[in-house]
Amino acid sequence: MEENEKKLSKVGIVSCSGEDFPEGTISRLATLEALHHKKPFDTTTICLPLFIAGGEGDRMFAKNHPVITVDGCEKLCAKRATEKYSGKVACSINVRDFIKDSDEIKNKSNLNEDEKRIASEVTDAISLKVDDILKKNNK
Amino acid sequence: MKDKKFIIIPCSGIGKPIGTTSRETTYEIIKQKPGLAETACLALLTSGDKETIKKINDNYCITLDGCAKHCALKNTQACGKIPDKSYMILKFAAENRDMKPEGMVDIGEGGRALVKTISKKIISDMDEILQDEKK
Ligand code: SF4
Ligand code: SF4
Repeated sequence: MEENEKKLSKVGIVSCSGEDFPEGTISRLATLEALHHKKPFDTTTICLPLFIAGGEGDRMFAKNHPVITVDGCEKLCAKRATEKYSGKVACSINVRDFIKDSDEIKNKSNLNEDEKRIASEVTDAISLKVDDILKKNNK
Repeated sequence: MKDKKFIIIPCSGIGKPIGTTSRETTYEIIKQKPGLAETACLALLTSGDKETIKKINDNYCITLDGCAKHCALKNTQACGKIPDKSYMILKFAAENRDMKPEGMVDIGEGGRALVKTISKKIISDMDEILQDEKK
């Protein structure tokens, strides 16, 4: 039974909202892609501001799931807020680590080719981490 | 007081098309009112960033939530600011059933029509606030 429960456990992915920066939109899109297309059965999410607006159940999120946070910049809002209100994160990803000097990053909606490529690289990084965490959890 | 701006804070709810609609509506208002409307990352407020808390306290603030959990409103209030106006996408969606946001990444034609409708209403309320201030 315990073994089954472990195998069923999902990895939480928490994205920053990042309304004010293109990298925030990339973070959100990469997270959605991982949640809905790459790892739909292995992942779950929560609206980050629910840590304040929601109830005790919402704040238990990081205690119930290993969490990967995905942030748009070095302010690491998703990581900081998750650790402040919910619990330690298993892994933190910063979109800016995927950006090259030659990339043109400027759109908060309707992403260009560079922005879409980075989102896809971030999705791949999230997916790898999900596999990693589940492998370790289910050993 | 003349240079006070409107800081529009959407909830951006990641799991729902109405969250994406709140975000897109914010961008539409900023496009329509450049120099007057800005946004701030809600996650910065949630994580307690001092500069962002000061920004919303020094300016007009409008919150735009997807659902009745009112995350943008509650996070803003938790930072000591009562928003000058707060809105909920679900309420507009219920009043405009022919305009339905479809996806979380692309809200579709219905969602875009809803964005236009909501942003028009909010911009008109912003103008009213500025008029009242002049009186
Ligand atoms: S991590 Fe950066 S982009 Fe994301 S919400 Fe915070 S300030 Fe905005
Ligand atoms: S108001 Fe609703 S949709 Fe928006 S972040 Fe909160 S729970 Fe999510």
